[in-house]
Parts: sequence; structure tokens; C-alpha cells
Amino acid sequence: MMKKILKNQFSQLFSMIDKSYELFLPIEKEGKVNFDLWQEGDKVNIEKLKTSISPKSVIFPQSETYLKFKRDGKKLELENVGGKKEDYVLFGVKHCDAKSFQILDNVFLEEPVDRLYEERREKGTIVSMACFNPEETCFCSSFGIEPETASKEVDVTTWDMGDSILWNPQTQKGEKLTEKIKDVLEDATEQDKSELNALQEDTKQKVKELPLANIDPTKITGELNDLFDSKIWEELSQRCLGCGSCTYVCPTCHCYDISDFKGDTSGERFRCWDSCMFSDFTLMAHGNIRKTQKERFRQRFMHKLVYYPNNHEGVYACVGCGRCVEKCPVHLDIVKVIKKLGGEK
Amino acid sequence: MEKITEKIREIAKLALENGEVEKIIGWNKGDTFDDSYPVFITDVDDADSLIWDNFCVNNLSKYLIQQLKVSKKIGVFLKGCDSRGFSQIVKDNRIDRDKVVIYGLSCPGMIDPEKVKKEGLHKRLLSVKRSGNELIFIKKDGEQKASAEEFEYDKCLQCRYPNPVVYDQLLTEPVDREVKTLERFKDVENLEALSSEERSAYWVDQFSKCIRCNACRNICPACSCEKCVFDNEKADVSGKAKADSEEQFYHIIRAYHVAGRCVECGECSRVCPAGIPLHKLNSKIIKDINELYGDYDAGVDPSEEAPIGTYKLDDSDSFTEHGGEKK
Repeated sequence: MMKKILKNQFSQLFSMIDKSYELFLPIEKEGKVNFDLWQEGDKVNIEKLKTSISPKSVIFPQSETYLKFKRDGKKLELENVGGKKEDYVLFGVKHCDAKSFQILDNVFLEEPVDRLYEERREKGTIVSMACFNPEETCFCSSFGIEPETASKEVDVTTWDMGDSILWNPQTQKGEKLTEKIKDVLEDATEQDKSELNALQEDTKQKVKELPLANIDPTKITGELNDLFDSKIWEELSQRCLGCGSCTYVCPTCHCYDISDFKGDTSGERFRCWDSCMFSDFTLMAHGNIRKTQKERFRQRFMHKLVYYPNNHEGVYACVGCGRCVEKCPVHLDIVKVIKKLGGEK
Repeated sequence: MEKITEKIREIAKLALENGEVEKIIGWNKGDTFDDSYPVFITDVDDADSLIWDNFCVNNLSKYLIQQLKVSKKIGVFLKGCDSRGFSQIVKDNRIDRDKVVIYGLSCPGMIDPEKVKKEGLHKRLLSVKRSGNELIFIKKDGEQKASAEEFEYDKCLQCRYPNPVVYDQLLTEPVDREVKTLERFKDVENLEALSSEERSAYWVDQFSKCIRCNACRNICPACSCEKCVFDNEKADVSGKAKADSEEQFYHIIRAYHVAGRCVECGECSRVCPAGIPLHKLNSKIIKDINELYGDYDAGVDPSEEAPIGTYKLDDSDSFTEHGGEKK
């Protein structure tokens, strides 16, 4: 049953959750909003539509040590670390970002299952927040997302109604969390529901009018080899700077590198995000198979628009969050690639 | 700006037609109001897509390093700050000045899309036009006017070189703008006023936001190494970990490597997805150079000796003078 929480009870709500879980919230620091572990006194900002970096960093941290080693004479001690031991709540995930979690699940939870990732997913209770104010850089509808509705992928969905939020648990984990915060919950009224309907209808209209609403990746047809050999890669990649800002703000990019911090008698093995845009990404003993930015650039978009959907029942590895549209220093983003490949309604 | 756009197109067409250049580097317009992006043109017919507007913030000169490897002569449009970057790249021996035709553009100051968003003006916004010091926001549901100063990038508000310092042809009347030079090092002075512990805490906090994307390095006209040490797997410093020590190491090494070559374009801070005010590091070094070796603006006069790159017997030696102690 749909519940409601008044916003003036948010500090109580957060403290209540904090008693039983680690709580990750969109927190504003120096004008930038990002998901971070909440502490009393933090400036929580749930109005900001897009965090600078996607919440993927909570379920797939940028750097994660998973093995520690120590040498003691001839003895070598190994210790498995990493993953997540504490239950946590991730509150305020937008629909697009929630869908990106499913895209990562397809990779990390398939055999062989990624132990660290699996643990983080199991320990997490994800609370989404629908969106009523899509921005000019948003194109989630191009990937079948209806931002005003409840995301199926999460444990609880919420809607920001101004003075209150509506709260709707969808899973066992969601019910458990709901039970813990029942003191701040009240039942949503019929009037709340009709206001919600009105807001949803309004949002649907807004989404249709967005400048990027005509993007349609399903219009990209063509054989894999033809797309691979397309002239657009040369043309577009000319202005690519080869930085990793698109990759690192992207909610669906999931490539990582493995490396060691080495000491004299001890060390750590960690994994960290990597970017296919970097020159050393495919560097191997025999050399590098992607010698220029053209090949690196092509890889990023072929992966999202062709390889991934080929391997995952037509699901694209993009959710239209538009972070790359905002952050690319030279305005070179997936929208331009989709358009060049014919992906327009 | 529309008139200049026309001029840009004419010049590009002419230069390509008569074979003066093989390629033109300019800007095109995309879907959103702030989407003005770099473009490379070889076909005369494509010249009509070139534009000049309030969002042509990208410096096109760094592309010349790569492009001159495949083209013999290139025409490029440069603003004031861009031209300093260009001169520095020439001084660093990365390109041959004679292979470039520079079309100079005096710049009234570029508009910061973040400031537009902050005021909520980006919703249903189609384009932004400028008339003198006034901006006109053209929206789906009407027009709105505002003072340009409120929306210019901070770096543009402090610009001391709106007019190109080097060009073959100037396409605009020179811009005459009042610059508050007194405030040039205000940010640095505020940091200098802190205790060293506070200052250290400030930078540790800032660097901890770094996501290791390298955007600051790759946009920087002074970062023009063939292979950066941080990309060199043999140098043993090419780690990608999100770890405080590595982030600090990266940014401090970079600041020192561009010391005396930073042209103050502020692009490092603009492109940082994490919002680290990286330009403050470079500003501090520029201020120190000015105090120790006399005023110097990198990328303005290529014939001028670079203070860091030139050794003189009577150079200031504050480190020895102070016995390695803090001044």
C-alpha cells in the first residue's frame, strides 16, 4: 500500500534508517551533488535531477582492494577483503540510474559471478525517486524508460510531491525497510494519488517535448561488420580528446583494471575503473590492438549500441541519462553517434 | 555574432576553394543551446555549417598538433585566450607556425551553461543571443533579457586578452573591455592567507574528488607531450586507482609541468566533472613567477624568454636565500 512521508520529517527518516543501515544519499558539496555516505549535518539535495557522477559508484566502487598480501620470511599470507558486509540503503536513485544497475547485473551476476559486486547488490536496499522535471540533456525515453513511473528494478519507489514524498515498497527488502521507518509513515490519500496522476501526465508531455526526444537506437540497423567499418568513426573521433570523462560519469560503463600497490613485504591487489578511451586500455605484451583514438572511440559506442544488445536480448547499454552530453569537454556524446548511425525517429 | 558567422563561412569557403589551406578547424552547432563543438572541414560545401556564438569556448589550437601530421596547411579560428595557447604550443616546438593560417576573433566573453542552468533558464531554451552587454534568451515560450556579465564564465570575467595576440587576419573589431585586474589573484591570496595545515587540508579535500578522467590534462594547451608520463606504463606511475596519494601526485606533477607555460585559459577547471578548481594551482605558480622573476604572461610574445626555461646568474633564488625555510 502506498505511504507518504512529510519532508519536514526527513531528518527523522534519515536518522531512523541510519540506525539499521549505512545510508547513501545525494549530498551537495560546493555546488556539486553526488551520492555519498550520509552523516548528520550533510546537505541532502533530492531536487537535483542528475548527480555529477552516477550512483554506480556505490554498487561498483571506483577503486576496490580485494586481496592483501604479506610476506613473513618464506611464508606468504593472503587475505581476501573487499565487497560489502554492512546492509545499506541507497536513497534517491533516478529511474535511468536504476535501470543501469540491471545492465551491470547482466554482466557481473552472470557466470562467473563477481563476488564483490554480488555482495554489494545483496546488502543494498535501493530506493528510487521518479522524476517530474526532465532536463534538456535527458533522453531516457529513447531507451524505453518512463521516468515518472515506478522503476521495476528497485526495492522501494518514491515520488517527490513537493512537501512530501510518496513511498511504495516493491520487494521484501523494501518491506523490511518500510517496517523500520513506520513511525514517519502515513497512508497516502486518494487526493495524493490523483495529484500524482496529474504530475505523471504532465511529465509525459514534458518528455515528448525534450530536444533529444527523437533519438531512437532501434533505427540503427545495418550489419555488425558494416557498422564497424562505417566512416563515422573516423569523422567523429577526430575531435575526441581521449579523456575518460564520458566513461567515468556513465552509469553503464563497467570496465576495470587490476593492479597492485606494492610494498617491500606487503601489498594490496585492487581493481579500479578503466576507460576504453585511454591509450593503454588494450595494451598487451605483443602491443596494442587499438592504436588510434578512432578504434577506441568506436569500441565505446559499438559496445553500448551493438555488442551489448546482441548479447543481452536487445537491451542497449545506455539509459539516456545525458551525463556525457553535459560533461564531454568537446560535446562529443552518444547522441551524436546514434544520430550519425541513423538512430532518429 | 551572426555577421561574424557569415564572415567565417565566406573566409573558410574562399580559403578552401583557392587552396590556401587544406583544412579548416572551426565550430558547428548541435542540438542544445550550449552545444558549439569543434569541427574539421575539408569540403567547401560544409563551410556553411560553421558558426560563431556565445558557446564557442573550445580552443581549437591543440588539434593542430595531430592535424598537421596529416595536413600541410590548416586554417583555424582563434579567440584571445586560444591565441595564447597557440603561441605556447609554437614555443614548445609542437607545431610549425608557417603551416597555420590564423583567423582571429575578438571575444566578448563566453557564456557558462552552468550559470544558465542555475538560474533555471535552460528549460525550453532554444538559443542565446548577445547584443552588447545584453543577453537574449530565446525560449520556446518567449524571450528573456539579462545582463551578459551575470552569465559569463568566471574565467572570462577576468580575461585580460579578449583580442588575439597572434593572427593572420582579424575578423572582428577589437573588443575593449574593462578588466578587474586587481582581482586576478584574489583566489590565490585567499588560499595564501590560510595556515599551511589549512591549505593542505583544502587541497587534500579538493583532490579527493578527482575521478582520474584526465580531462584537465587532455584539454590543456600546455599539456602537449607525445606521451604523458601518466600514460607510460614503463614509468610505474600510470596507476588509475582512486586513491588520495595518486590523485595528489597527478595534479601536483601536472601543475609543475605546466609552470611558466600555463596560458590561464581556465579550461582545466571548466572541464573537470568533479568541480575541482584546478586553475588555482596554476594561478599560484604564475603569481610566484611574477613576484620572483618579473611579470610574465605565457603565450603572449613567443620571442620573450620564458622565466622557468631560461637560467640567469642573477635569478632570484628564494629557496637558498631562506635556507629552505618558508619565506
